[in-house]
Amino acid sequence: MSAHLAVVRRQPRRARVWRVVLYVFLTSMALLWLVPVGGAIYASLRPYSETQKVGIFSLPKSLTIQNYKNAWTQGGMTHAFKNTLFIVLPSLILILAFSSAMAFAVSRFTWRFNVTLLLIFTAGNLLPAQVIFQPLFQMYKAMPWPDFLSDTDTGNLLGTKIAVIIIHVAFQTGFCTFVLSNYMKTIPKELGEAALVDGASVVRQFWQIVMPLCRPALAALATLEFTWLYNDFFWAVVLLNQGAERPITSSIANLGGQFFSNDNLIAAASMIIAVPTLVVYLALQRHFISGLTLGANKG
Amino acid sequence: MSEGYEFSPNPRDVGFQIVSRRTLLASAAGVAGAAFLAACGSSSKATPAATNAPAGTTGPAGTTAPAGTTAPAGTTAPAGTSAPATGGQSVTVGVYEATGKNKDAFAAGLDATGVPCKGNFVDHNSFQDNITAYLQQPDDVFTWFSGYRMRFFADKGLTGDISDVWAKLPDFSDSFKAASTGNDGKQYLVPTSYYPWAVHYRKSLFADKGYTIPTTKAEMIALATKMKADGLVPFAYANSGKWPVQGTFDILNLRINGYQFHVDLLAGKKDWTGPEVKNVFKAWTELLPFHQENPNGRTWQEAAAALENKEAGMFLLGTFVAQNSTDQTYLDDLDFFNYPEFDPAIGATAIDAPIDGWMMAAKPKNSAGAKALLTGIGSAKYIDAYLAVNPASVPANKKADTSKFNKIQTKSAELVQSAKFVTQFFDRDTSPDFVSNVIADAFANFHADPTQIDSILANIEAQKSTYLG
Repeated sequence: MSAHLAVVRRQPRRARVWRVVLYVFLTSMALLWLVPVGGAIYASLRPYSETQKVGIFSLPKSLTIQNYKNAWTQGGMTHAFKNTLFIVLPSLILILAFSSAMAFAVSRFTWRFNVTLLLIFTAGNLLPAQVIFQPLFQMYKAMPWPDFLSDTDTGNLLGTKIAVIIIHVAFQTGFCTFVLSNYMKTIPKELGEAALVDGASVVRQFWQIVMPLCRPALAALATLEFTWLYNDFFWAVVLLNQGAERPITSSIANLGGQFFSNDNLIAAASMIIAVPTLVVYLALQRHFISGLTLGANKG
Repeated sequence: MSEGYEFSPNPRDVGFQIVSRRTLLASAAGVAGAAFLAACGSSSKATPAATNAPAGTTGPAGTTAPAGTTAPAGTTAPAGTSAPATGGQSVTVGVYEATGKNKDAFAAGLDATGVPCKGNFVDHNSFQDNITAYLQQPDDVFTWFSGYRMRFFADKGLTGDISDVWAKLPDFSDSFKAASTGNDGKQYLVPTSYYPWAVHYRKSLFADKGYTIPTTKAEMIALATKMKADGLVPFAYANSGKWPVQGTFDILNLRINGYQFHVDLLAGKKDWTGPEVKNVFKAWTELLPFHQENPNGRTWQEAAAALENKEAGMFLLGTFVAQNSTDQTYLDDLDFFNYPEFDPAIGATAIDAPIDGWMMAAKPKNSAGAKALLTGIGSAKYIDAYLAVNPASVPANKKADTSKFNKIQTKSAELVQSAKFVTQFFDRDTSPDFVSNVIADAFANFHADPTQIDSILANIEAQKSTYLG
């Protein structure tokens, strides 16, 4: 009896110890992850003339938000944010539209090419962007595009923001199709059959049965894709020759000169640029997490 | 998974028409179409904003400006000046600076030419990294450098021959013409300005401690030893970005082996494992204890701060070292001297002084305008306006206004004029790929472990033929 009691008492104590260890570990890891972010915020609030003399690891003599103001104007952020919006929003809508339609076709119906198609879509995603850059560059250059549909006067797709939208859509649709088709497979087929019995067409099944049920998955994908598209620098730089066409990620680069860069200013710019992704994540957080767990429970 | 999802039947098997899928596609196309329409709408809205970047450029962006007319209100074209013949429309210009004083200087210079142009301002690093892609769709004229980097693209026919523009540029010395000439004997560059590499120091520190400026290697080592005894680091030193120490290699090689050997070595004509290069690295290893340790992780700006704070006594860098500080007391105190002589037979007559300039696209859209603009850029007006905003370099044009020179500019001009040979800096004097793929890492590895130099040099020699055929 006493032995049994001892065991009972020891269990929670050991659990408590583990809990303390866990919390210490989690807290220290969280702090460790916050160090770079905190350091960037700290640097962004200090004038360059001060840190350049006393170094970045020092107590502040003055704190200012001037860096943020300068980063906004010197980085041309109003304009660059417009470019980003112009690229990211249509891309996001098209990606989700195409991939949900594709996922619906390959996951809810049996027909000859559905596995092949799914494989092709997913395999295309495995190629790194740098590999397809050269052929794509030449293809865009050879593709006529009327100047009145773009801000440039090149007469072809190369150098237009449309070109960036197209490659984003092409590149990301594969991944989204893969995720969405897996998710759609978890929706019971009986739902589709019941709708069928009631006379719902395929289109109606798609819009009124499957799509509403996919909302968590779509929200999760929207968050992820927004972050990826928003953070893209590669396509923006190689496809857009004109500085005025480039999105917000190039604003950070803009702040560095040939020799001299003001790191505090760049830290401030990074902070500003990180805000929209945080907002989107916080806004869609609920969906994002429920999207993850919903996918895990069924299967 | 185990309860197993079974596929729904093929819609055709249960009586659906293929039309349904077409409807689906059509609706998807509709969504796409709507997005594109939305895209076009915001595209046209973005156009005026595109001009907000080149705030100081001339001419109406995106519109055609007949030569001789004044630009519409809102732009800063020089109203009233008679613009040269520009082929009836504005010239597109690509500039490798995107912000601040650096960009404003270009805008002011272009303004002064009186040729209406539309600026494309891109940050320096991505402009350089992206140059091969850029040249597939270049602006009419664009900023670039002299040296191998210029000849490389000229040889490939990617930049335009501007020999006829040079016929209208009387204000450049023959050495600048030579620095603007490609391997085929034609001109491809309009030089604007240059800046020398030299040993920077603080006059007040030298005065306080009684240091004198060294003119020979022995004097330099004696001075460095004295500085060390005084608790100073003799040379501030940095290699973050893997390019700054190339300047040290250049100057050591120029002092030890001379100009011709240096040029031949960088052209791939000399052996990296030969005794000459070994001598350079022997001297470099000997001098390393007088330099700040672990340069690979230090930016030149951090090293410059050491000079400013009087923790380091000297710093071999381009005169852009002054850009790091806004403290006028320090800037007034900053001075430089030519790197000392190592071998009396060779002397100290060669220096790095990179020349910046402008090139023309191989097939500019507005050829007449581009050449008019380049002629304007070759005039003293352009560089005077440029240097008024950013006086960090020395004009290449003989007629440029020297009365407003600051002390550094005056000394820079004197130093370069007294030099018998001028080189462009390592990464401008040889294949850019050779530098970024081989040399940058090799020099960084040397600083990580100087004893490995033999294998590092063997490696450079083995790889050089890939880049310098």
